[in-house]
Amino acid sequence: MSSTAVPGPVGRPRGRRLPFYKRENWQALLFIGPAVLVLAGLVLYPLINTIVLSFANTNGRLEITRWVGFDNYKTLFTDDKDFLNLEVFPPEGALINNLKWVVLYTSISLALGLLIAVLSVRVFYESYIKAVIFIPMAISATAVAIIWKFVYDPDPNIGSLNAVISAFGADPISWYGRADVVNYALIFAYVWASTGFAMVVLSAALKGISQEVIEAARTDGASEWDIFRRIQLPLLSLPISVVAVWLLINVIKLFDIIYVMTGGGPGNASEVIAFTMYDETFQNGEAGYGAAVAVVMLLLIVPIMLFNIRRFRSERVVG
Amino acid sequence: MTRKRWLPIAVLAAVALALGACGGDDGGGGTKEGDGQLTVFSLWGGSEQEAFQKVLDKFTADTGIKTKYESARDFLPVIRTKLAAGNPPEVAIIPRPGVVAELARDDSLISLEDLGLDPDKINENYSDTWTSLATVDDTVYGVVAKANSKSTIWYKPNSFQQNNFQIPKTWDELMQITKDYKAKGDSPWAVGAQGRDNSWTLTDWFENIYARQAGQDNYTKLFNGDLAFNDQSVKDALNTMTSVVNDQYVAGGIDTALGIGFVDGIGRVFSKHPVAEMYMEGGFVGGIALGQVNKDLKVGQDIDFFPWPQINQANGNPLVGGGDVASAFVNDSDAAKLIDYLATPEAGKIWVSTGAIASPNKGVTASDYPNELVSKEAEQLKTAESFLFDGSDLLPGTLGQDFGTLLQKIVKNPNNMNTLLDDYQAGAEKAFAQQD
Amino acid sequence: MATAEVSVERPAATTGEKAVRMISRTPIHVGLLLIAVIWLVPTVGLAVTSFRPRDEIQSSSWWSSLTDFNFTLHNYDLVLTNAKMGTAFVSSLMITIPSTLLPLTLAAMAAYAFSWIRFPFRDTIFLLIVALMVVPIQMALVPLLQRFRDFGLADWYWGIWLAHTAFGLPLGIFLLRNFFITLPRDLIEAAKVDGASHARIFLKVVLPLSVPALASFAIFQFLWVWNDLLMALIFVQNSDLWPMTIRINQLQSTYGIEWHLLSAGAFLLMIVPLAVFFALQRYFVQGLLSGSVK
Repeated sequence: MSSTAVPGPVGRPRGRRLPFYKRENWQALLFIGPAVLVLAGLVLYPLINTIVLSFANTNGRLEITRWVGFDNYKTLFTDDKDFLNLEVFPPEGALINNLKWVVLYTSISLALGLLIAVLSVRVFYESYIKAVIFIPMAISATAVAIIWKFVYDPDPNIGSLNAVISAFGADPISWYGRADVVNYALIFAYVWASTGFAMVVLSAALKGISQEVIEAARTDGASEWDIFRRIQLPLLSLPISVVAVWLLINVIKLFDIIYVMTGGGPGNASEVIAFTMYDETFQNGEAGYGAAVAVVMLLLIVPIMLFNIRRFRSERVVG
Repeated sequence: MTRKRWLPIAVLAAVALALGACGGDDGGGGTKEGDGQLTVFSLWGGSEQEAFQKVLDKFTADTGIKTKYESARDFLPVIRTKLAAGNPPEVAIIPRPGVVAELARDDSLISLEDLGLDPDKINENYSDTWTSLATVDDTVYGVVAKANSKSTIWYKPNSFQQNNFQIPKTWDELMQITKDYKAKGDSPWAVGAQGRDNSWTLTDWFENIYARQAGQDNYTKLFNGDLAFNDQSVKDALNTMTSVVNDQYVAGGIDTALGIGFVDGIGRVFSKHPVAEMYMEGGFVGGIALGQVNKDLKVGQDIDFFPWPQINQANGNPLVGGGDVASAFVNDSDAAKLIDYLATPEAGKIWVSTGAIASPNKGVTASDYPNELVSKEAEQLKTAESFLFDGSDLLPGTLGQDFGTLLQKIVKNPNNMNTLLDDYQAGAEKAFAQQD
Repeated sequence: MATAEVSVERPAATTGEKAVRMISRTPIHVGLLLIAVIWLVPTVGLAVTSFRPRDEIQSSSWWSSLTDFNFTLHNYDLVLTNAKMGTAFVSSLMITIPSTLLPLTLAAMAAYAFSWIRFPFRDTIFLLIVALMVVPIQMALVPLLQRFRDFGLADWYWGIWLAHTAFGLPLGIFLLRNFFITLPRDLIEAAKVDGASHARIFLKVVLPLSVPALASFAIFQFLWVWNDLLMALIFVQNSDLWPMTIRINQLQSTYGIEWHLLSAGAFLLMIVPLAVFFALQRYFVQGLLSGSVK
């Protein structure tokens, strides 16, 4: 079952195999036809349509009223303080919030996932621990938002976090009412939901590392920390980048948890760009402006995916 | 040997069938015959929804037209997706006149005339102040469905009695009560202004203060775009506001205020475990407090309201109030009948009998109100020496929502007032310009 | 992949060694248990709350109720009927099942062609389709909404079925194709020699052998659609048809934050994903892994 043969395009067969080849084309068409049709009509066409829309203004019914060229983009980056505000230090705005997520959410999820993967291997209840950490992956972001809204409630009788804080004698903190902490509260809630993914991938990868090398290093007197840093970590660089890509794409698409927990508030403090798109299009009725935001989202995801594809391709060459 | 092509063909057939499923076409000009079924859309839930359902039930009983009530907390996004998808509700009750204007200008609403109704006859039921809300560019697009006063401050009569407080008639007296409560160790105020859905409570604070401090003319100018939002009068009003709405006098401080909804805010004062003494919001607080928060409250002892005190004697005591407009999105006879019905005193009476609302309809009298709180509010509405509509609800586009957000930022950081106001004014200028 | 050897060290031989190992591992145990507690507390807290009477929730902490034992099912009753979560549950099913079966079918067909049929431009088209995985839903919301209206598909569930199918296809095709090409070439060649058409090979040879991969994608897609909020917000206009994710959100605002309802609602929302996860864990994990690790 371990055939790794990759069917590739073969040279054009000759002779009496020609009819079969031609017949194959028709069959291929039938097989990929429906999928291609759906994709062309429901993904590719809207994609182009939205790009076009981003160069226009619309009325409240989302119909185009006039063409404005690059104005939407210009306003977005220079004149929209909710999106990008470079006049204060540190900078603020939805785009900056996504940046906070990129840095914190990605690194903490990876670090925690790695930590748990490494630690849990050494205990007998490994599969239980991993199950506990992994379960939040199955539930919706809506449920995550509600669970954590409960944890963050300002009333110490309800919010577990504030209960702990009060027990230590401090005042309860309004986690999603304060602009300075709300983003971190949201980030940690989503880390809670996503660490399971990092943990599973890294755990599987860890177990794939040959034991002989580790044993040899151990007999040579290397400490556990050395083994981790010099042998395991480098071999994990591929899975780590896989997880990182997945997490980064999550960050760009972030919507549900913001919408349910804070609605972008307080004020606009917890907005992220996917939320901005929804807000501008459906609350403000500016579908053209929202389309520009969507295009920005696409432009941010593309480099991440390109990196992924390149890695995928180089693997094929090697593997 | 047969080639099993049935699978892909079956799929193609299914897709074709789906594409072939015809939707309705939109009617041309003129009022179509309705199909005996209509959808009404608004954002009320809870006790307000139950009250409105009674009105709808009577309508169905009288006309045989079935109704379905839908609600969503995001009124605008849902309306927009419905419009974009070609599925608008037949009738919607719109919470902001600013939104009515926008929808009307987009040709999403059907004017009363186009529905086959007589605007003048319908408007006989209301005073001019109210009908102007449903009128855009001299065309009437709907009827005012319900009204409420926002110039009410809720308190606990028992507590006032215990402390020998009198109902304050001036701002200074109110401040004194605030300080006295605080000195006793109580939290004088509760505020619930979280996120997008509750920031309007702060706008009501501002509007009441501004109208009394800066005067009605300035108020009208401000919300019409003729006076800048970074004008000194605005800053003065904001300073007055933050002299009360601050960490010192609000239960839990500003952080908590910005972290709880307005119903929770009511709960802070009137639930079984209260932590504050007074709550500033409109007449509907009574219905919510009695219906949802704490059913054991006794009117006149545990809960009552007094009208907003004067600030500047010259400016008197204008009433700031709000109202919802019922409009039709589809031109059919069912919608027309419902709009017509909602404008009748009869509908008004049924609605107010639930104690949830006050009606702007001239035909509804004080005796129609079931409890003291609501009839007091209705009285306040009727006898107001002058009336000002909720300013933030008049603002065009997103300015109304943004105004709430602006106030949230200002109560959190009063020192940033100047920058925040300048930014808001820039946005306001654009929005008002677009409108003309 | 090398065989998995679980333990990283030689197992402890003597009892003495075992004891030493246990103790020296104490920090690990403490750390892991602490992490486990942090991970469980949020969900458990909400779960306990969903069974508490409304008045108690505000007045006493949820962990104190673990000793009081005053529990009720009333909240669930309220949420299912008054708050219409029961209807929403059915809606979620109505949305999710077709949105899983349809892309599964189309993707399997297409993936087969990309694996075992030779045709011009095959690899290019495949790469294009995989590239479409990048496209965020936001890029399609407005155009789809308007085209659905034009074609009369804005009614009922048609719109959301099509939207979910379209956005599930790239990943499905990618996953399934990567699996199909690992099937033994000899088997397929043999079938061809016997004169079988591709349709026959697909149905009789490839599909039966691919159940794990199909299951992985199906479960992945099922959970994705069940948990979705944004697409439902845009494409399901009729409030009777709202799935649970939207319904529970509506619970949030109309009643302020009424935890007795919200907690019960949240758990109803989570039941199905959790059940699917526990029953079919292996496939779910497989789906995730193969989607990203290759």
